[in-house]
Amino acid sequence: MTETKKTETPEVVKINKWDGAAAKNAVDDAVREVLTGDLKCKESFALIDGRLFLCALAVGVALYALLWDYLYPFPQSRLVLVICVSSYFVLMGVLTLYTTFKEKGIFVVARETVASGTRVWEASSYVKKHDDKYHLVLVLRDTNGKFREASINKSFANYIDSSGVVAQATVTSEITRLYNSLLSEKKEK
Amino acid sequence: MLDSLFDDVKRMNKRQFIYQVLSFGMIVSSALMIWKGLMVVTGSESPIVVVLSGSMEPAFHRGDLLFLTNYPEEPVRVGEIVVFKVEGRDIPIVHRVLKLHEKNNGTVKFLTKGDNNSVDDRGLYAQGQLWLTKKDVVGRARGFLPYVGMVTIYMNEYPKFKFAVLACLAIYVLVHRE
Repeated sequence: MTETKKTETPEVVKINKWDGAAAKNAVDDAVREVLTGDLKCKESFALIDGRLFLCALAVGVALYALLWDYLYPFPQSRLVLVICVSSYFVLMGVLTLYTTFKEKGIFVVARETVASGTRVWEASSYVKKHDDKYHLVLVLRDTNGKFREASINKSFANYIDSSGVVAQATVTSEITRLYNSLLSEKKEK
Repeated sequence: MLDSLFDDVKRMNKRQFIYQVLSFGMIVSSALMIWKGLMVVTGSESPIVVVLSGSMEPAFHRGDLLFLTNYPEEPVRVGEIVVFKVEGRDIPIVHRVLKLHEKNNGTVKFLTKGDNNSVDDRGLYAQGQLWLTKKDVVGRARGFLPYVGMVTIYMNEYPKFKFAVLACLAIYVLVHRE
């Protein structure tokens, strides 16, 4: 592939490939696209909604404290402030635990309904700081609670071309390969 | 350039966008909750203040950061540095207690003066007010950090600069996907 095709269609997403976070987000999005689009799974939002709920609750508590302190100036509002401040920091702790132990970098959960029940696919990724390796883990959980995982550890150079455009075809083939290998493993057992 | 700035936002789905807004909200509310927490711990409605004038030199200079406490059980004594509010003035004043009268029932009234001023503060108090009482006190100075408050002073003197800095930070946080 050469860089001759510079004409931009509105669909083409161009990112700054030297920005690790942006690159990760772009490839994450591409992976989500594959799972929910090409592989026809239905995205499940429970995990991210849980995080959004915790965040919204924390911000709500802070706003409540602000409002209460405005209506009943300080010495009066002491008790409410104590409750709000302590619950806010507890919520922050819970949020940290939630993202480290429950989410673990999972950015998409997709359900697939098949004859034997529901399969759940979870994709998570991480990138070390100042590293070009994009580490992708795909987990398959079936209805019996069994799970299997497969991972790829490849440089961003595989997924993003030199102009900063995500190569959707490469991502699709990689994900499909993982998907099929997880499924065939399942059949062997 | 400006177009690419908002690219990240444009590509977000609904949930990512909500999260972006909420994480901005959490940055602001963390600062707010730390402040409110300090209020509860110190008992002062404004636990950290910046010295705005030279009236307490050589003890405090313009731009010093003061840490206050305001525990009701600790009595105010002559020679202490208190921060107090005066009716009709927005900004609290940091001055030393010069004279103090205490009644048996614990009520106090006191007069203050800036170390660097030639007269006491009666001219600064509200019309007809001769003494300060406990309810005027915001807190007592417990510690200070020199120069740090200059940032706040500059920000207040050049409000446009302040808004520019705040706007840049806000846009960066809102637009940049973590």
